[in-house]
Amino acid sequence: MKRTFDTGNAAITEAAIRAGCNLFAGYPITPATEIAENMSRRLPQVGGYYLQAEDENAALHICNGGSIGGLKAMTATSGPGFILFADAFGWAVSSEVPVVIVNSQRVGPVSGITGAPGQGEFYLSRYLTHGGNFETIVLAPSSVQEAYRLTVRAFYLAERFRTPVIVLADQMVTDGWETLELPETDAEFLAMGLEVVPRRIHPGPEFYPATDDIDVPPVVLGHNTGAACSDWTPTDRGHDTEDITWQHKHAWRLIHKILNHRDLIDEADQWYLDDDPEVILVAYGTPSRVVQNAVNAARRDGLSVGGIRPISLWPFQDHLFKRRAIYLVVELNWDGQLVREVQRAAADGSQVHFWGRCGELPTSAELLEDITTLLKHEPLARDGWRTEKW
Amino acid sequence: MSDLLEKYVRPEKNPGTACKGCGLRLAHRKVLEAIDELGLAQGDVVWGTGIGCSGRQTFVTWKGDTFAGTHGRVYAMATGLRLALPPEKRLILTVGDGDAFTIGFLHLLNAARRNVDMTVVVFDNLGYQSTGGQYGVTTPLGSKTDSSPYGAWEPNWTQGGFDVLRILKESGATFLARHTVLQGHEPVESLKKAIQNRGFSVVQLIYPCVTHYGVQALGTRDLAKIYDWFRERTADDLSADANTHFTTGITHDASGSRVEFAAGLRQFVASVQKGVGNGETD
Repeated sequence: MKRTFDTGNAAITEAAIRAGCNLFAGYPITPATEIAENMSRRLPQVGGYYLQAEDENAALHICNGGSIGGLKAMTATSGPGFILFADAFGWAVSSEVPVVIVNSQRVGPVSGITGAPGQGEFYLSRYLTHGGNFETIVLAPSSVQEAYRLTVRAFYLAERFRTPVIVLADQMVTDGWETLELPETDAEFLAMGLEVVPRRIHPGPEFYPATDDIDVPPVVLGHNTGAACSDWTPTDRGHDTEDITWQHKHAWRLIHKILNHRDLIDEADQWYLDDDPEVILVAYGTPSRVVQNAVNAARRDGLSVGGIRPISLWPFQDHLFKRRAIYLVVELNWDGQLVREVQRAAADGSQVHFWGRCGELPTSAELLEDITTLLKHEPLARDGWRTEKW
Repeated sequence: MSDLLEKYVRPEKNPGTACKGCGLRLAHRKVLEAIDELGLAQGDVVWGTGIGCSGRQTFVTWKGDTFAGTHGRVYAMATGLRLALPPEKRLILTVGDGDAFTIGFLHLLNAARRNVDMTVVVFDNLGYQSTGGQYGVTTPLGSKTDSSPYGAWEPNWTQGGFDVLRILKESGATFLARHTVLQGHEPVESLKKAIQNRGFSVVQLIYPCVTHYGVQALGTRDLAKIYDWFRERTADDLSADANTHFTTGITHDASGSRVEFAAGLRQFVASVQKGVGNGETD
């Protein structure tokens, strides 16, 4: 292992290179710019292509185009660019094209505040395009080291599921400096639980089989297989159709290839849940680091507290919330997004509370105060929008 | 001609789904004739399409590899695809005037700037016809359409001193031509040059829409009358009055004069790998 001290941006870059990425198209945007910069330096060294697109819409379309030519493509952005992916994201979902998208969340809405962390795209990452009829894979790192691991995973899942995979990071994960261990040998890489799936080429003619199977090779053009892919509802051969029975087969496949293979996607950290704690804190990304500290501290004080950190965000892991408990969901936004899913998934009789803030992290002390209040079954103090019963 | 369709067009898409009398069939055939006369086989061409009549009617007609992009973005997709394809593979896009010159214009200009090796054939039916006939940026001024019931008023990109192909020339395109589909073999000759250019080519191919433009703007579905209107309006001379005529011909041929994007990028990457480091292409 090569032990370094580096940023999440660097970790994501090295992970992409290790996963075989050979095309990056992006548009500079804070706080994801350094990923583009790092890729512009690293990709040519390994024979890959770096492009600066005219906008994010073009960036993801260039990635899609490269991917249907057989390249492994990635783009990276933040909120204002993420929203521009809608068009190309839908194309990749429907055409079943592997591509990796990194979003370093900052404070919104719109341009908002550039250099501070937010968590405003929890739902947008699930529904990054219109029309419905699909499932999305979203992974959320909470550290520099995990940014490396999940970026490699994203490429792996994108190939196996032939779909875009989103790495939903935040500004502190991508800009933050931490210890980063990089595997130097294949054995070390495998020992990290990581794997690379090389691009396969679908031989045709049934490019869109009516099955929920994964590991169907993607459509790759240029090999005279009669490959056909488009934004239209496809028949099994990729021809455009307005026949609703084909549409049903297509939608069924887009949904169930993911839902029926969740064992490959689902991932979470669960802290101190074995003794069915009374209060359970929930967070993803950087805030989960504070949550973990607060839960550890509460446990040291003998409090009945546990924690859940979803690592894969979508498909949402309802099963994590089957304990009846008092949930406190901590997010870097004021409107509450993750909390809505927790509220929906939580076991009957549970309470679900929201702890929101944007641009800066909560402190352990703040969370401990609220944990104590909840354990006393007292209402959370309202400090502006800080704590709100959902 | 039917041999040409049998040779290159998927049987499920022959005959096509365009309206009776639609000039798009002629436009499509011009492209196939050019491919045929260049001696290209099914495996030599990757065919992409956009949205609208031209995209929908030509998507997956090509027997070989084919794709359709979202509206206006196929030029960006083709830029990525070009990096993956072998240089000898021809990349042909059949798109509409709306796709190329309005919603996709940003991407078209940037593909021209980069001189990405692709041939964009703009099947220009003088407006948005697949949505029922609304004016666009190539609709002649004064035309009555469903969204210009008093006559098209908004400035377009073909009259009043504008020429959309000139904008593309200034943006770096290396081959540009404009024809109508009623000009016999002339468009085929231009298409052949466009396809042979190892760089960014655009051929604007104006064709009559019978169902919407014919009925709404010209007041007739009569093919003979519609063709007459197009012929009367077509000038073989590029210096003819563009306010009253479709000026046709090769407007710019700088084939081979600029480094093609994918070739240049490959060379650049190779130079970095060799440790040149400064990335200058020689």
